[in-house]
Amino acid sequence: MFYLYWTTERDLQVESDNKIIQEVEQLRKAYTSRFRTRDIRSLAIAVDNKSKLPTANLYMLLDQNENFITGNFNDPKELTKVKTDEDGWIEFIYKNLNDDNKALSYARGREFILQGGYRLIVGRSINNEIYLKERFFLALYGSVILILFLGIIGGYILSRNFLNRISAINKTSEEIMNGDLTQRLPTSSGNDELGKLSSNLNEMLDRINKLMTSMREVTDNLAHDLRTPLNKIRSNLEVTLMSDPEKNQYKKSIQEAIEESDNLIKTFNSILSISKVESGTSDLEKTSIDVKELIDDLVDLYEPITEGKNILLKKDLELGLKILGNKNLLSQALANLLENAINYGVKEVGSVVVLGAKENSDDISIWVSDNGQGIKDSDKEKVLDRFTRLDSSRNTKGSGLGLNLVNSVVKFHRGKLKLLDAKPNGLLILIDLPKSRSS
Amino acid sequence: MHILLIEDDKDAAAYLIKGLKESGHVTDYASDGEEGLNMALDSNFDVLIVDRMLPKIEGLTLIQELRKEGNDTPILVLSALGEVDERVKGLKFGADDYLSKPFSFSELLARIEALSRRTQPESSSTSLEVGDLSIDLLSREVHREGQKIELQPREYRLLEFLMRRPNQVVTRTMLLEGVWEYHFDPQTNVIDVHISRLRSKIDKPFKGKQMLHTERGAGYALRYDE
Repeated sequence: MFYLYWTTERDLQVESDNKIIQEVEQLRKAYTSRFRTRDIRSLAIAVDNKSKLPTANLYMLLDQNENFITGNFNDPKELTKVKTDEDGWIEFIYKNLNDDNKALSYARGREFILQGGYRLIVGRSINNEIYLKERFFLALYGSVILILFLGIIGGYILSRNFLNRISAINKTSEEIMNGDLTQRLPTSSGNDELGKLSSNLNEMLDRINKLMTSMREVTDNLAHDLRTPLNKIRSNLEVTLMSDPEKNQYKKSIQEAIEESDNLIKTFNSILSISKVESGTSDLEKTSIDVKELIDDLVDLYEPITEGKNILLKKDLELGLKILGNKNLLSQALANLLENAINYGVKEVGSVVVLGAKENSDDISIWVSDNGQGIKDSDKEKVLDRFTRLDSSRNTKGSGLGLNLVNSVVKFHRGKLKLLDAKPNGLLILIDLPKSRSS
Repeated sequence: MHILLIEDDKDAAAYLIKGLKESGHVTDYASDGEEGLNMALDSNFDVLIVDRMLPKIEGLTLIQELRKEGNDTPILVLSALGEVDERVKGLKFGADDYLSKPFSFSELLARIEALSRRTQPESSSTSLEVGDLSIDLLSREVHREGQKIELQPREYRLLEFLMRRPNQVVTRTMLLEGVWEYHFDPQTNVIDVHISRLRSKIDKPFKGKQMLHTERGAGYALRYDE
């Protein structure tokens, strides 16, 4: 803004300076050329004429002794020079002789020494410029002060508000760090970045809390599931030792202990597999798998067991389906579903278990269905968790990890697991898996 | 059998050595990779049992070095990192079999047994015979006491696997891996059902002694007792 003012003022000044120089040249010509002599009279007349024009600049002609010859402002004795710059320009204060009140004014002009010792001063009023300049600087200083003042006040209010909110967040964080996971950050103050940050952190805390709860449940269940068999092993061995039995009795107890610990190891292995799959390790190799082969192999393995239990194991396959996946994991997941169907989904007579696969527009569905009693809607979510065993299966063998592993495997393959009701009754478990690109 | 055990856990090693001795094997022991590698190169063993995580030279590196030296002693890798991909990695480095901790001792014994026999040259004959039971590998025909037995394809594959390992204990896991190529433990007794079906075809109809035996706590063995 200041630069704009400075250049404008500069241009205006240069322009008016040029006008003065031109005028002086005209007057100088009038002085020298008319009779090829130095005619001071004609110069005086020319100056006088010019002075009397209504839009006249300032003129003053002096003789060698600084006596006033003609002009339209005060005599040289009262002329007060304010400033002289390098090019011979002067700024001065004058009284305008044409003006009635003869007030003092500011002017800028130049003094020319003519041949014969005459001096001509030509200038113009710069009252307007001075006034403008004063007003400009006044406005400038005023606004700077106002802006500073408002800035300081506003900044203080804003930062105090901001700091208050941050310290509220800090305080809550400390409470959370000290173990109170139910605390939430204040979010009342609107939709700004800080509010968004708080609500994001709150959502994060909700998620952590949920994970912590489920983690705690898993640990509790794990402790329970491991303590029971360990307790069994321990008391079995202790009782055997107490009763001083025969060799065969020893053998039997030890054999039982081995079987129980094998079950424990199986549970541990399942948990490890689930963690491994859930961590999404990329070194679990994925290949293109023929769905028919995958299911044929499983049916091949499980058919004798279903025949032995009078269960009809059926295949319902579309041919030529290929999925991209880890064969061992998928086999294990389907084997778990099949075993669940065989163990829990059967009735006295007429049990049917179906292994099926079909192509959808953007994925491939593989399903296992039975015609048993099915699972209540309220339990469907629950059965995917670790160590969940529904009351109906509480007394049968099993670790409660089967469906959890299936869920992990499906997630690993970026698929979807759905628990549905089979028609007219029973459970239908559907796995949607991405197609293999090579199919 | 002369076995070299390379394992840094001294307690675990002591149990293994004791068990192997009970089963009639002679076991040498090395507690770190460097010592193990030197011992393996110096003398002739029938089988090496190598732990994955060893001080000085890591298990898989040791196997790689050994194979580079032209030593082709069968190697069983033991590992707490027991997962499918780890198993595949172990085999890629030149191991012959992989067993993840914790394992049952009978599983270890059965696998050592299988490994030591694998080094014997595979017979190029087109038939296998155990006692009076025989299978023709080309026509896939099975006979006992001169009588033809009709088997389903999966029963045939199971029998062939057992016939190639006569008088050996074969565990359920070995059958799952060898016949079905599955590397997980089913929660149901699927293998037992398959075995009993096979038994009902190759043992029950015949007057001769039972050949397909159940080894309690271990697995099964196809044996012909005179």
